[in-house]
Amino acid sequence: MPKIVLTHVTKQWGKFIGVNDLNLEIEDGSFVTLLGSSGCGKTTTLRMIAGLETPTRGEIRFDDKIVFSSDKNINVPPAKREVGFLFQNYALWPHMTVTQNIAFGLETLKWKKSDISARVQEMLKTMRIEQFADRYPAELSGGQQQRVAIARTLAPKPRVLFMDEPLSNLDAKLRGEMRTELKRLHRDTGSTFVYVTHDQLEAMTLSSKICMMNEGMLQQYAPPLTVYNRPANLFVADFVGNPSMNIIPAEAKKTGPAQAEISFLGIQASFDGEKDFELGSGDVAIGIRPEFLPISEDGDIEGLAYSTLPAGMETTVKIKLGDTILSSVVFGAIDYETDAKIRFSVAGSGILLFDRQSGKNIACGRLSVR
Amino acid sequence: MNKSDTNGKKRLSNALYAVKSYFSVQANVLIVIFAVLLLVLTVYPMYSVIRSALTVGRMEAMNYNSLLHAGLKDGDLTLVHFRALLSSDVRFWKPLWNSLRMSAYASVIAILVGGTFAFLITRTDIRFKKFFSSVFIFPYIMPSWTLALVWKNVFANSRVGTGVIGMLESLTGLCVPNWVVYGIFPCALVMGIHYAPFAYILIGGTLRNMDANLEEAATILRAGRGRILRKITLPIVMPALFSTVLLVFSSTMASYAVPVFVGSPGNFFVLSTQLSQIYKASQIRGQAYVMTLVLILFGVMLLGINQWFTGKRKSFTTVTGKSGQVSYIKLGKANVWIASALAVVLFLIAIFPIISFALESMCEVQGDYSTLTLKYWLSREDIGGFAVNAGHGILFNSMIWSALWGSIRLSLIVSLIVGTCGILIGYAVARKRGTRIAGLVSGLAFFPYLVPSMAFGAIFLAVSTRLTFLRGTLLLLVIVGSIKYLPFASRSGTNSMMQLSGEIEEAAVIVGASWPKRMLRILFPIQKSSFISGYLLPFISCMRELSLFVLLTTSGTLITTLLAYFDEKAVTQMSNGINLLIVIIVLLVNFTINKLTGASIDKGVGGN
Repeated sequence: MPKIVLTHVTKQWGKFIGVNDLNLEIEDGSFVTLLGSSGCGKTTTLRMIAGLETPTRGEIRFDDKIVFSSDKNINVPPAKREVGFLFQNYALWPHMTVTQNIAFGLETLKWKKSDISARVQEMLKTMRIEQFADRYPAELSGGQQQRVAIARTLAPKPRVLFMDEPLSNLDAKLRGEMRTELKRLHRDTGSTFVYVTHDQLEAMTLSSKICMMNEGMLQQYAPPLTVYNRPANLFVADFVGNPSMNIIPAEAKKTGPAQAEISFLGIQASFDGEKDFELGSGDVAIGIRPEFLPISEDGDIEGLAYSTLPAGMETTVKIKLGDTILSSVVFGAIDYETDAKIRFSVAGSGILLFDRQSGKNIACGRLSVR
Repeated sequence: MNKSDTNGKKRLSNALYAVKSYFSVQANVLIVIFAVLLLVLTVYPMYSVIRSALTVGRMEAMNYNSLLHAGLKDGDLTLVHFRALLSSDVRFWKPLWNSLRMSAYASVIAILVGGTFAFLITRTDIRFKKFFSSVFIFPYIMPSWTLALVWKNVFANSRVGTGVIGMLESLTGLCVPNWVVYGIFPCALVMGIHYAPFAYILIGGTLRNMDANLEEAATILRAGRGRILRKITLPIVMPALFSTVLLVFSSTMASYAVPVFVGSPGNFFVLSTQLSQIYKASQIRGQAYVMTLVLILFGVMLLGINQWFTGKRKSFTTVTGKSGQVSYIKLGKANVWIASALAVVLFLIAIFPIISFALESMCEVQGDYSTLTLKYWLSREDIGGFAVNAGHGILFNSMIWSALWGSIRLSLIVSLIVGTCGILIGYAVARKRGTRIAGLVSGLAFFPYLVPSMAFGAIFLAVSTRLTFLRGTLLLLVIVGSIKYLPFASRSGTNSMMQLSGEIEEAAVIVGASWPKRMLRILFPIQKSSFISGYLLPFISCMRELSLFVLLTTSGTLITTLLAYFDEKAVTQMSNGINLLIVIIVLLVNFTINKLTGASIDKGVGGN
C-alpha cells in the first residue's frame, strides 16, 4: 500500500552533516536495504523515515500523505506513521514477559482481549517461541530475544517494517538462519521492509533493492545484482563483493567508438565497451571481479601465487603481479605453493572502467590482453 | 602409623601451600584484611551497644530501684531498659510515630521534587540543563540544617517559639502560624528537599542509562506519552525509585540536626532527638541504647526490603544501546515558563540560603535589616555582649580559625582514608565477586550506614570510656568518621570496579606490571573521576558533620561544633556567619574538584 518517497532530505547536527540531500523512492512491498559502513547515515535515514529523528530539511511522503516537510512545517509523530521498527539491541522491555511484550502494541490499539491472545499465540507459533511465553527477556538467549522482538514488531501487522541491523548481535550460524526466515517473512506478510546493515552479503542476499550510502550521500540505488555488476562508482565497487573487486590504475586512450587502448601494470590491452563512452583525461581505473580472473595454464598473464586461501567450495588465490596483489576466485579446492608461477587471464564482458578523478563508472565491456 | 604420619605431613604441607597460594593474590590479601578489620570495627561497637542496652549502671540501678522497686545492682543483666522504654508513650511510641511520618513525607517530597527534576533534565529539551543540574545538587552538598536555619530565619515570628523576628515578619508584618515554623511540616519539607538531589541522581542516572530504544519501541507501537510513562518508563525506573525511598526514609529516620532546629522548639520530637535527650539523662541512659538498636533494626529492615526487591526475577539490567539518540520531549512555549519556575525554585533552595546567612550575620538586631553592620565579621575587638566570650569578628577570630583548621584537617584525613579504603574494598569485592567473603565485606562496609550518626557517636563514646587512650583525641574522630563514611565510598568503589572487566587488569598482569603499578597506572586513571568522587563525598560530609562528633569532642575543636555552640548561646550573627563559611568552603571544594578532574556528584546525569 504505501510507497515511501524522500526528497532532498538532509540531517545536520551543528556543522556535521549526517545525511546529505537524499532522494529515495521505496516501492510498496519491496525489501530495501540501506547499506554502508558505520557512520554513513543509514541508521539516521531509517530513523527519519520512522519519525524517531527529525530531518533538518526536506520532505518525506508515505504515498500522497506528507509525514514530514520542513517547508510546510509538517511532522507526523512516529505513532501515527503506522510502521514497525526492529531495533538492533531488540529493546525488549525487561519488566514484561514475552507475552506481555508482544501484547503491548495490540493493547495500545485497543484490540479485544480474545483477539490479542489469539494474535499473540499466532506470533509465538510463527516465531517458534511458544515455550518461552512466560519468561522475562533476561532469561532468553540472543536468538530467542531476537524472535520475540520480531514477534512484537509484527504483531500489529504493520504495512512497513523498519529494521536496524537486526542480525548484528547474533552468531554467524543463527544469522544465516534468521536471514532465511526474514526473506520468508517478507514474502508471507507482503509488507514493505526497510533494512539497515553494514554487511554487504546480507544486503545482496535479502533485498530487492540496495541503497548504498557513504558519508551521508547516496552512492547507488539499484537491485543487488546491478550494484554488484555495474557499481556506479569506485566506492560501491570496492564495498560490495567478497573478496573485493580488483581495482587497478591504468592509462586509457580512445581508439574508436566504444573502443580504447589500455595500459596497466606493464600490460597492453584493448577495451571493447558495451556502448560508446567518454574517457576524459585518460586516467582510469580498471575494475575486475575476482571471478573474472580465471587461472589456467594457457593464461595470457604470468604472476606469482602470493597466497592461496582454499575455503572448500571455492579458493581465493592472491596473485602477485609486479607490486600489485590481485584476487582471483576459483571454483573447487586447489592449493598452490607459495611463490609458484601461475598464469591467468581476464575474462568475461563485465570488466569496468572508472574515472580515477571522479571515481565514476565510465564503461563496462571486454578486455583483451595483447 | 608411619604411613598416616607422612600422610598428615603431606596434608599439612598441602594446606600450607594452599594458604600461601591464596595469599599470593592481592585481592585475597585485601579481602581478608578488610573482613577482619570491619568485623572488629562493627562487631565490637555492636557488642558494646547491646551490652549497654542489657545491663544497668549504678545510676540507672538506683533510678529503677526507686521507681520500680526492681532490686537491681550495678552491672546486672536485665531487660528493664526495654520494658521502661517500650512502655513509654512520650519517650518511645510518639517519637517513633513522628519519625515514621516525617520519613514517609520526606521520601514522597524527595521523589516528587527529584524525580520531576530528573525527568525534565534527561527527557525534555529544557534550557540551561548543565547549570540547573549543578545548582540542584547544592542542597545536598550543604549541611542538612542549612535549609532548616533558613526556614527559621524567614518564618520565625513574634508569636511563636522564642519570639525572634524573621525576615517575613520584618518585611511584611505577616506572622505565620506555629505549625509552619516548627513541627513535622518544616522537618519533612526540609529533609525532602535536602535529599531531593539524591533522588535526582539515582532516578536521573537510571533514566539516562536507560536505552532510549525501549521507549521508542513503544512509540512505534502507537503508545501515547502517558502510556509509555506508565507502562515502560516508570516500571523500569521503579528499582531506582524504590532505592531512593528507602535511602531517604532511613536517612531521615536517622537525621538529628533538622528536627533539633525546626522540630524540638515546637515540641515535635522524633527518635533521634529523643535519643539524645535520653542519652543526656544518665539515670536512664541504657534506654538510649535500646533506641539505637531500634533505629539499627529499622535500617536493617529497609535494607532487607531493598535486597529482596532488587533480587526479584524481573531483572532490570538495562542494556545500553544507542542512547545518544534520545529524542527530547519538546516543551515548546512552556520551556521558558518551566525554566523560569525552576530557576525560582533553585534560587530559593540553593542561592537564597547563602544570602540569608550573609544578611543575618550582619544584623545587629536579628531580623531588623536597618541595623546592618560588618562588626561581626571585621571587628578586631571582643564582640561579647551576650554573656559569652565570643572573641573577635569572624575573620579575626582565632577560635573560629582554629576550629576551621581542625575541621579541614579531620576531613582531609578521613576522606583520604575512606576514599582509599573504598577503592581497595571495591577492587577486592569486584575481583572476588560471588564469593561469600566478598558478600561479607560489602555487607559489613555498608553496616555503618544503618547506624544513625547520633547513635554512632554514642557508641564510640562508650568505646572510648573503655579504651581510655582514645578519649577526646583526633584519632577517635578519625576512626569514627572513617567508619561512618565508608558505606558511600565502598559502594562507589565497588560500582566503578565492577564496570572494569578483569581482562583490563589481566592485560597488565601479562606484561608483568606489579600490583601497585596496575592500580596506579591502569585502574585508577580509567575510573579517575568516580574514584575522586569517592574522596570528595566523605570530605564534604565530614566538613559539615555535627551529630556524629558532637558527643565526642569539645565545642572549639571543629567548626560545626563551634557553630552549635554559638547557636545554643544565641549569638545568631556568629552562627549564621560560620554557616556561611561552611557552605562556601564546601561549595568551593566541590567546584574546584569538579573543574580540575571532572568528577562531580551529579556525574553523568546532567547535560554534557
